[in-house]
Amino acid sequence: MDDELAQIFDECRELVEDTDFPAVRRWLAANPDGKVLGHFQVYFPEELAHAAGMLPIKILGGPSSLQIRQADARFAAFVCSIIRSSLELALTDKVDFLSLFVTHPICDAARHSCGVWARNLPDLPCQILYLPHNVRSAYARDYLEGEYRRIAGIIEDVTGRPVTDEALRASIEVFNENRRLLRELYRIKRETPWLVSCVEAYLLTRTGALMPREEHSNLLRRALPLLQAREAKPQDKIRVVFEGGFCEQPPLEMLSVIQDACYVVDDDLMIGLRWLVEDVPADGDPFAALAEAYIERSSYSPVQRDPEKPKEEMLIRRIREANAEAAIVAAAKMCEPGLEEQVAYSRALDEAEIPHLVMEFEEKTNVFEQVRMEVETFAESLLFEFA
Amino acid sequence: MTPKDGAAPHAELIGATRTESRRLMEQWWQNLEAAENEGRPVANVFVMGSLAEILATFDIPMSFPEITSLQTAVRGKSMDYLTAAEDYGYSPDICGYVKVDVGVHLKGREHPNGKLPKPSLVVSPNTCNTYIKWSEIWERIYGCPVFVLDLPGWRGTAAAGMTLEDFERDRAYVEGQLRELIALCEQVTGTPFDIDRLREVMGEVNELSELYQQVLAENRHHPAPFDAMLEGLNFMGIANAYRGVPEGTEFLRIALAELRERVRLGMGAIPEEKYRLLLIGTACYSHFRRFLELFHGWGGVFVHSEYMSFGGGGIDRGIAYDLDRPIESLAEQILSSSGKCFSGIFFSQDWQADIVGGWDIDGICYHGIKSCRTVSTGLPDTREWQMREHDIPGLFIQSDLVDARLWSDAQMKNRVDAFFEALASRKAQARR
Amino acid sequence: MLVAGVDVGSTQTKAVVMDSGPKVIGRALIETGARLTEAAQEAFRLAVADAGVDEQDVIAVTGTGYGRYRVEFGDAQVTEISCHARGAAFLFPETTSVLDVGGQDTKAIRLGEAGHVLDFCMNDKCSAGTGRFLGAASQALEIPLGELGPLALTAKNPVKMTTTCTVFAESEILGWLALGRKLEDVLMGVHVAIASRSISLLRRVGIEPEITFTGGVSRNTAMVKLLEELTECPINVSEESHYCGAIGAALFALDRALAEAAADAKGGVLP
Repeated sequence: MDDELAQIFDECRELVEDTDFPAVRRWLAANPDGKVLGHFQVYFPEELAHAAGMLPIKILGGPSSLQIRQADARFAAFVCSIIRSSLELALTDKVDFLSLFVTHPICDAARHSCGVWARNLPDLPCQILYLPHNVRSAYARDYLEGEYRRIAGIIEDVTGRPVTDEALRASIEVFNENRRLLRELYRIKRETPWLVSCVEAYLLTRTGALMPREEHSNLLRRALPLLQAREAKPQDKIRVVFEGGFCEQPPLEMLSVIQDACYVVDDDLMIGLRWLVEDVPADGDPFAALAEAYIERSSYSPVQRDPEKPKEEMLIRRIREANAEAAIVAAAKMCEPGLEEQVAYSRALDEAEIPHLVMEFEEKTNVFEQVRMEVETFAESLLFEFA
Repeated sequence: MTPKDGAAPHAELIGATRTESRRLMEQWWQNLEAAENEGRPVANVFVMGSLAEILATFDIPMSFPEITSLQTAVRGKSMDYLTAAEDYGYSPDICGYVKVDVGVHLKGREHPNGKLPKPSLVVSPNTCNTYIKWSEIWERIYGCPVFVLDLPGWRGTAAAGMTLEDFERDRAYVEGQLRELIALCEQVTGTPFDIDRLREVMGEVNELSELYQQVLAENRHHPAPFDAMLEGLNFMGIANAYRGVPEGTEFLRIALAELRERVRLGMGAIPEEKYRLLLIGTACYSHFRRFLELFHGWGGVFVHSEYMSFGGGGIDRGIAYDLDRPIESLAEQILSSSGKCFSGIFFSQDWQADIVGGWDIDGICYHGIKSCRTVSTGLPDTREWQMREHDIPGLFIQSDLVDARLWSDAQMKNRVDAFFEALASRKAQARR
Repeated sequence: MLVAGVDVGSTQTKAVVMDSGPKVIGRALIETGARLTEAAQEAFRLAVADAGVDEQDVIAVTGTGYGRYRVEFGDAQVTEISCHARGAAFLFPETTSVLDVGGQDTKAIRLGEAGHVLDFCMNDKCSAGTGRFLGAASQALEIPLGELGPLALTAKNPVKMTTTCTVFAESEILGWLALGRKLEDVLMGVHVAIASRSISLLRRVGIEPEITFTGGVSRNTAMVKLLEELTECPINVSEESHYCGAIGAALFALDRALAEAAADAKGGVLP
């Protein structure tokens, strides 16, 4: 049983670390006429692409093994790594299978990316999906529904296949099922963190961004019962929430260093895949349902504005609901929104007297001694305090 | 100087703009302080989509934190505030404007120009994402309402492009939001909305936009009568602070008269204009004079800038409000500004090439702002595009808006000097 | 007709004396130190002595480098970008791109005809990825600068440096050594980091053969090899490439001297 799990994690790790997108290439080999949509972080309604038979994947930079050779020359200083590494993938033909690239107004570097991609890849249509920031406007929902229809129109142009209501409803079911499985994974992580490590849960989640969602659901369906059947015992570790993984992803080794000292009982890693926190109704108008879900059945992040979900309150709620005693509040280097939110988070946690460790990371970091020292010291300080 | 037409020089016009802009800037501060002292509401707004039209309708004074932040740098005081914000926890790598402003609020809103008012309302368009993060800071400090205005902008490249239907949907969204903003202003001020007052304000903006375009066009003359990174910043600042009120339009009339007189007298922005430049990016306010000196020393004049476009609130491309349907028209034109001037900077190579042609420009200076991803992210890429596609020489330099630590004098000078040496040798080759 | 070029760099000051050939007939290289004006004078004096000519016969001197305005005896100042371009075209007439890696900054230059600068790019404000990064490595490892390249070339399994920041270089280097990585592998990692940064700059102006590599770091054999691998182009390196900026400056001085001579011959005055 542990062998099977080990094999699953090996496969996942390979998918995550291989910048040649093997799962996508396998899918294309099986679907020679298939088209691939790549979208930048954080959230994209992948159902729209799925309904037209496209394979939607996330473009989310690369690990430290991806050398940035060409992309640096296209950007000014002070731009975060994921923006550069994502373009590097495109300039070095690692994502030459893309038929459409979509980015979002999550930050100014991400919006500029659309222009930079478009200038450098003139044959690839590049789009900005303008997700609303004024979500409490009475007009936001209709607007978003229309914006989804606009993107669906472009998808129809690219694929030559219509996005029918019926197909979209079926796609919503596929993604609902996948999100349910991810929620189950996170429940296991929250309730019995000794059964699944932070890295393991992360690998199981992140592969969803890189393969057909049905395949990903199958993977989760295989893995979840095996995790629950594990015979592991709780250890004396502090329970923390990791915050700061909504866009650029921390290196696996960094998560591994953290899990050595802590149980990460909840996090915002790859939050886009888990952005919708409830099932999207698969009856009625599917475009309207997706738009409604984006606004009303969704998580939070520093790059989404919703006055009804103040981010620091949401974080504290996440910590309390996961029964965590502390938080690691991270931000990617040069990430304007992340670094700004970090201050608000940290102040609010101070006020709520929740211990927290503030840190910066970069996807391409490959020396972790300092992180190890910080995390261990932080964990020790809490263990001694509670002892 | 001898005027071209032989008529006597009008000495009183020369320098009038400067005097008036000083007076207006002082008055702007006095108005803000008065509102604060009298307990009247003040709105914090931003240059890329201030919604001055609606705020002026309610006589809500506007505080522009971008302008008040840069003013600290012009006075050589920005570092005190930056340091205060960094001590509070803000990273050295984020927007300098935000940090200066946080510093001012941490220091009891004491600003070198006066006391900054407490915001009663924030209007935060999505034209720069940092606007939203910034607004959330005041929301936390003061609990004031933050109205985030979505102005969906440039959408990228796709064969189909944006259809009329797409634009109409965006317009309906913006119009709906404007109606909600009006309701919020009614609530904040306790004053009912007066659509005729809105018409008056919009009429002023129509004129302001017309005058602003004429001002920019004067710089097509050789020599150019003003520098877009010196006098141009005054035109832009007043056009923002006095958008929609008669003093703003009157100011641009004064400016236009002076510029026309300068053109008649053959008075250039600098004694001897040798190179005509376009600036992409913004100014460096911590080394404002020095920055210009580096270029003026070589006879280089900024005859136009993208800053005067997006930083001028989008009036440079021409606003023509239809006063018969004010709210609908306001939505339409603001949305169009957003696509062309604000998010337009993500893909502005064609606009740049047009300006290079229209203003007879020798080269483009791309001034990257280290702490501003909105203006800087794609600059190196655009620079190369212009070199490759249009053979337009480009200089890429980086400093900051307000953070003096990010200025390296020897390196700036070296790059600028080398650029002019290359321009000179290019001109010499062209003559051969 | 004799002219000179003096290149006052951040670490070293170079001077050459040139005849109307144009041919370099004298050269000097000294540490710049804190007194720029004195360094410029001293280098000039040594180059004149090396040429075995009389200082009075040198009729034009151009200053270049960061300290160019401190070449007080010079009659013109030109940036080292223009000078390196000119010097590189003198050393290798087919040069299209120049990469100059100096102690403080890295420059990539694209040339037109006769060493005319078409475009250039320089590193960011900090000295990340410049010669100073090698200096930091040399200090951290206590190995003389000149031995870094040959040692790095023996690497079998280079480490991947995450920083090109000079300030963090030392701690990362020591970190790798603490993990038991071989000295040469760490050193090669340092070289790869600088080479990648340099190529990134070169890409901004366009990589086209022939590429001429100048500046102090051009004497480093490992760097030359890495650049050849990364650009897939042979790299021109000259014994004289360290003097490239000074040579370019001397050529600008020669232009001026020739123009003045021509004006004198016509009996006119130079505008």
